Amino acid sequence: MNENEQDFGTLQQFLKLKRHEMPPPGYFNNFSGEVIARIRDGGKAGEFSAEAPWLLKLLQLFEFKPAFAGAFASALFLLLVFGFVFADRPESSPQPLLQASVAQSNSFAASTPVALAQPADTTGITVTTNPATSLQPVASLFNSQNPFAQQVSFTTTGN
Amino acid sequence: MIMAEPAERTDQEPAADAPTAEMDLVRRAQRGDLKAYDELVQRYQERIYATVYHMTSNHEDANDLAQDSFIKAYQALKSFKGGSSFYTWLYRIAVNKTINFLKQRKNRTHMSLNDLDFNTENNPDLVALISENTPRRDAGLKELQEKLNAALLKLSEPHRLVVVLHDVQGQSHEEIAEIMDCNIGTVRSRLFYARQQLQSLLTDYLKPT
Repeated sequence: MNENEQDFGTLQQFLKLKRHEMPPPGYFNNFSGEVIARIRDGGKAGEFSAEAPWLLKLLQLFEFKPAFAGAFASALFLLLVFGFVFADRPESSPQPLLQASVAQSNSFAASTPVALAQPADTTGITVTTNPATSLQPVASLFNSQNPFAQQVSFTTTGN
Repeated sequence: MIMAEPAERTDQEPAADAPTAEMDLVRRAQRGDLKAYDELVQRYQERIYATVYHMTSNHEDANDLAQDSFIKAYQALKSFKGGSSFYTWLYRIAVNKTINFLKQRKNRTHMSLNDLDFNTENNPDLVALISENTPRRDAGLKELQEKLNAALLKLSEPHRLVVVLHDVQGQSHEEIAEIMDCNIGTVRSRLFYARQQLQSLLTDYLKPT
C-alpha cells in the first residue's frame, strides 16, 4: 500500500488545491441563523410534508425530471379536453337502445291484458303495475314517452 | 512527576469535556432547544458545507444541501441514540442527501466553483508542484482548479466521496468507513481505484516535464 501511496503522492498534493476553494467571505456568518429560521418556519411545511408525502415526492420528481412534469401536464390537459368533449355530447346517443326496450315493453303490455299473478289479498290493498289498466297515457304526462315510467295503481278494499 | 500530573490533567480537560459538552447540546436540542442546536450547527457548518461542496462542485447546491442536511438532522434528532458521535451521524445524513441529489440530477452537472483563497498563490509547495508538473507552466490556478473539479465529477459518487473525505479533508480510513457504513477494506480499495482514475484523467497535469 505504501508503494501505491507514493505513486499517488503528486496527485494527493494536487488535490490539496481543493482545500483553498472558499465560499464568499462572511458566508458562514449567517449560515446557522438561516438554518434555525428555516427550522422555525418549517413547522408548517413539515406538517404539510407529513400529511401529504406523496405530493412532496411528486413535486421533487417534477423538479428533477422536467420531462415527467411535461408528460403529466399533457395527460392532465388531454383528460380535461376529453371531459369537455363528453360533457357537450347530446344524450341522444343511447336512444336506439332505449327505443328498442320501449317497443319490447309495449308489446309485452299488449300481450298481457290483465294483471299478472296478483298476490292473494291479505292486507286489503291490491297493487297492480299493469300499464294496460292505466287510465291516463304516460305520454300525456311528460309530452313524450318515458320508457322508465311505469303506472302503478293502488286499490283499497274495505274490511 | 508529581508536578507534571496537574498539568497533564489540565491539558486533557478540554478534550475530555468536548464530547460531554456536545452530548449536552444534543440532549438540549432533542428537547427543542434551538439555541443549543444553533451551537451544533456552528460547530460543524464548515465541514459539512465543504464535503457537500467538494462532492457537487457547485456552491449553490452545496448551500442548499448543507442547510437541508442540518434541518433533516434536527427533525430526526429524536432518533439519535448516541451509538456513534453526533458528528458521524450528521455526516451520514449530509452524505446520503448529497448522493441522492447527485443520482437524481445525473448528467446535469453544472460547476459553480468557489474562488481560491489568497493563500493559494503563497503556498510554496502548491506553486512548486504546479510549475514543475504541468506541461503548461503558465496555466493559471483557476484553470487547474476547473480541470481538477471536472475530473472529480467524472468519478462515481462513492469513489468521489472517499477521495474528498480522505485526500481533501484529511479524514482517516476508520472515520470514512463509519460515515459510509462499510468496512475499511472497501474504503481502501475505493480510494485506490478513485486515485487511479483521477490520475488517468489528469495525466497531462501530473506528468513531470
